[in-house]
Amino acid sequence: MKFSILMAAGIPLVSPLMAAGVKSGHAEAELLVNTAGYKPGQPLTLGIQLKVEQGWHSYWVNPGVGGMPLKVTWTLPEGWQAEELRQPIPKRFMTGDLPGFGYEGTALFLANVTPPASAQGEVELKAKVSWLTCNDSACVPGDAELSVKLPVGEGKPGGDVAAIFQAEKKVPVKMEGAELIVEEAGDTLTLRVIAPNTFNLQGSTVFPATPEVVDPAAPIVFKRAKTEWIATVKKNEYAEGSPALLDIVLFGGMLEKPYIVSWQAKK
Amino acid sequence: MKQNTFLGAVIGAMICSATAWAAEPGDAAPAFTVKNVKGEEVTLAKQKGKVVVLEWVNYECPFVKKHYGSGNLPKLQEKYTGKDVVWITVASGAEGEQGYLPAGELAARSEKEGNKASEIVLDTDGKVGKAYGAKTTPQLIVIDKEGKVAYNGAIDSKATTEAADIASADSYISAALDSVLAGKTVDKAKTQPYGCGVKYAK
Repeated sequence: MKFSILMAAGIPLVSPLMAAGVKSGHAEAELLVNTAGYKPGQPLTLGIQLKVEQGWHSYWVNPGVGGMPLKVTWTLPEGWQAEELRQPIPKRFMTGDLPGFGYEGTALFLANVTPPASAQGEVELKAKVSWLTCNDSACVPGDAELSVKLPVGEGKPGGDVAAIFQAEKKVPVKMEGAELIVEEAGDTLTLRVIAPNTFNLQGSTVFPATPEVVDPAAPIVFKRAKTEWIATVKKNEYAEGSPALLDIVLFGGMLEKPYIVSWQAKK
Repeated sequence: MKQNTFLGAVIGAMICSATAWAAEPGDAAPAFTVKNVKGEEVTLAKQKGKVVVLEWVNYECPFVKKHYGSGNLPKLQEKYTGKDVVWITVASGAEGEQGYLPAGELAARSEKEGNKASEIVLDTDGKVGKAYGAKTTPQLIVIDKEGKVAYNGAIDSKATTEAADIASADSYISAALDSVLAGKTVDKAKTQPYGCGVKYAK
């Protein structure tokens, strides 16, 4: 009894910056921030951390068949701008008979936000998050309203800075100087990557980030052919007509970090 | 002898792959006979001359809850059965799997969910689901008056569990049914279905 009173008395001592995780369905979501205070006009990084229960998985931007990507709606103060959510590299899995891409355990999604130069005082940054977790026998959605209070100030590294720094390493970056070309022949797509010699695609894992272009069950294996890398892959059976764009992420093998390469059909 | 077995295996494999997806738009719809929740026989052959909808259901799936909880599927069922469409809700989940209900309980649950289909049928062995290549709940198939598959895919264009998305989504099923009822070909005849995997027997 006394113990619980002590515990309760201890709560106000927790820093107001400490966001708490919100449990919903089979996952827990938390809003992280990479600084203890913001500087007007200077971007900072927010993280949506999703901890999925053992035995369940959540989904990537390309969920494959029958999943659903995580969705975030930001509510930010006047003049604050949020960039696109950056998703870490996923795993490939089957949910029953359905091929998909997503996450087991903890995944940290990142977004840069920039306060206006005129920003002042303590602010509250809010995120409404919804997701889907599935296993072989069921799918359960989850949602959470997350928020974090941030004072204006020096922007010293905060408690989440290490987690966000580590998470950045799992988010694909543009493969500078590389070009992707997609050619269609019947229900086969040929992917050609022309990349500087600094990039060795041998043995890398490659996933299609754009849904409904590539068959989500088909492995993508790049082989060196003279000055470029070539992979052939089955077209997605639901692709409407010829593909217009494709983003692929590549990681592992000889690559030092995850990369993304984009292609867009010439108009 | 060995060669024969090999050939048999090859032919067997060919047949298997040919039947794995026998419900492409334009294909003849695979015949079936199943029992409805009242224990009566329902056959596709008897529906000849009518437009038929097959709708895969599992009331425990959040994507299905979206379309029943919001009243969207009951409204569609009511609207199109009113236009002489035969709407068949199909439960292909195996016994013991999530969402499986025996006939009586499935009937009661369907009523509670506001289901207005012409028939609610049990496909517990998954034969109908597999013949049509049903992957998800929900998934919708439209069969025209000649018995050909006219549409196979998603209920609409927004693959989410949120009922709020229904209003702004393109209702693929409505567009398909309106086209078929008007004697036109369906513009989007095949789309990627979204939902939970059909819980076939493992």
